[in-house]
Amino acid sequence: MRKIIPYLLTLFLVLPGCEIDQRNILPEDGFTKIYNHPEETLAFFPESILEMDDGGYIIVSAVKDEFSDIEYPYTTLVRTSASGEVVWAQSYEWLAPCSRLIRQGNRIGFVAMNPQFDAYFVEVDPSTGAESGQEDLQTTMPLHAFSDASGKLLVLGYDFVSRASVISSFGSGLTPERTTALPINTDLQYNIQRHLNRTGQFYPFFIGEIEGEAGTAYFVNCFFNYTLRTVFLDRASLNPTGNIYSYQTEEGISAVMSKGENLFALTNYYEGNNYILPNVAIDVSASQNIKDFAADPLYELTFRAGVRSAVLNTDSAAYILFVSQTNSNSFVIYQYAMDGDSLLHTHYREFDQQVEVRDVMQSADQGLVVLGSIRIVGKYRRPLLLKIPVDQFLPENL
Amino acid sequence: MLTTLISALRVQPFPGFAVNVYVTRYQTICLALFLALLPGCAVAQGGNFLDHLRIGFGAGANTSQVIDLAPFNIYEDLTGQTYTSSYTGLLMNIGNQYFVQAEWYNDHFIVAMKPGTYTHRFSKINEVVFSNETVEQETSSLLRYITFPAEVRYNVDLNRYRPYAGLTVAYSHLLPANDAFTRTFIRPKISAGAVIGTYIDLRYVILDLNAGYRSGLHNIASKADRFGTDDGTAFAQDDLILNDLQVSLSILFSLQKQRRFSNVECYY
Repeated sequence: MRKIIPYLLTLFLVLPGCEIDQRNILPEDGFTKIYNHPEETLAFFPESILEMDDGGYIIVSAVKDEFSDIEYPYTTLVRTSASGEVVWAQSYEWLAPCSRLIRQGNRIGFVAMNPQFDAYFVEVDPSTGAESGQEDLQTTMPLHAFSDASGKLLVLGYDFVSRASVISSFGSGLTPERTTALPINTDLQYNIQRHLNRTGQFYPFFIGEIEGEAGTAYFVNCFFNYTLRTVFLDRASLNPTGNIYSYQTEEGISAVMSKGENLFALTNYYEGNNYILPNVAIDVSASQNIKDFAADPLYELTFRAGVRSAVLNTDSAAYILFVSQTNSNSFVIYQYAMDGDSLLHTHYREFDQQVEVRDVMQSADQGLVVLGSIRIVGKYRRPLLLKIPVDQFLPENL
Repeated sequence: MLTTLISALRVQPFPGFAVNVYVTRYQTICLALFLALLPGCAVAQGGNFLDHLRIGFGAGANTSQVIDLAPFNIYEDLTGQTYTSSYTGLLMNIGNQYFVQAEWYNDHFIVAMKPGTYTHRFSKINEVVFSNETVEQETSSLLRYITFPAEVRYNVDLNRYRPYAGLTVAYSHLLPANDAFTRTFIRPKISAGAVIGTYIDLRYVILDLNAGYRSGLHNIASKADRFGTDDGTAFAQDDLILNDLQVSLSILFSLQKQRRFSNVECYY
């Protein structure tokens, strides 16, 4: 019997060793979250995401209720923790929130419209989501809002009286600075309304800033002169300097990324296919046809695919990412070198339901945050938040 | 030297495997101690070692109880509801095991080793609530381990039948899997428990009917892979403990004819 004692002693020594140290196993670095609402009649159209100081996020979505008397979707904000859990969710009567949640100093808000199509900046308390103020932006049918590096707010709207795209800039305190009207020369109000109430073709309206100090400062994707165009605007006057056009309103540029001065990376769709130009020099003072540039086809992307772009900065290098969705229900991320046109890697995240990318950003911990929508059980459109750790984009892990 | 060898296991225990083995220094020392004591004790029991050796093979079924250490859910509810996720019960989690068995016996004590492939099955069920329907999404796991169980048994000689009871400790190494849901697990661990059973002496062949319960098989998910999609189905992997109930039947061949009992003996 005494001989067996060493075995028993060993057993008792080994068993406590089963305790596992979980200090390194945390969910903030990477996660997938689907935000469900039990009401089947609601359809969520997530628009944009903003990271807060504590690492959490605020997601703005347009929510369309099929039983609502108002045809335009109302606004919902969802505040999450750093690991994606819901902190609060608030709904607002403001309609058709346009892309980009705006942060100006301590002010956080979104741009949406009232039932009379007047655009407002709606300020909310980030700790509770309560509406704390509103500012009339003196424009109608807001299509996109953008805050540039200096904190200036630019809003793209559609003026259904003059039939023009209107770009307005606002300084600190949302004081109006300049307004530029780009005549469309045809009535596209029906298309715009269908875009705003999410029942028709969803157009890639956006505003971006060109890296550089002087001269042309912004590019705006909007209707101009019968066509969906990317228009380059002068920094001081907001007057158009040049543009890239496509075929009427059916084809166009879906994403643009400035790589400094006259260098760009962009994607477009044309005749049913999607294309990418990872490194192209564009004369921002000329009017050019997108078909004049050599482009690589992206056959796997969905029809007229929405594409979002972002610069991913890591400790060792910076990359350009284009994020979209494929015909096989996957998010796809094309990772390009910042310099040149080298495709370094293509990342996929496959889902069993239809997904659509809506916004993309880099988080403070250098991870990539992708906001999209997914149809749960193939039926209900809901927001989907995907956080990917930065190490998955590092060269040693590609 | 033995400690050095086992420490080397920490780096690459099985070349070519995609997963790493994480064994704490404490466990390494304990395992080294255990292995170092094993032959010494065997020799110390006296007699010819081979005369007390039985070898064979066995198979059986098992069922796993899943304990959720750290639950993660892929769904969040915007109205404040909490969505539950659960695991299938014992009757649904039927797995199997195949192993070789070698044991050394002396009087009432038996030390048995049963290395082999042990497979565990279970499913995680996510509940997504809507106003007019509740949808359950099931994600299945099939975990295959190379397991090295060691059992110490105390048996009572009742002639043909020799019932026994004992303790077991097992080191399990998770084999690579094809599905992403299973690939999230990174840590093989040690489990321990109790066994009961009986030997059935058929003179040249001995049957070992064994039931065991092993507890504490930790399955910790890699944080990088905790959330993912497998064949498109989005999942959130939890950190789990598997408690395992096993029933096995082994056939053992003794290297020495059984002395005290044969099929032709009669009883009065």
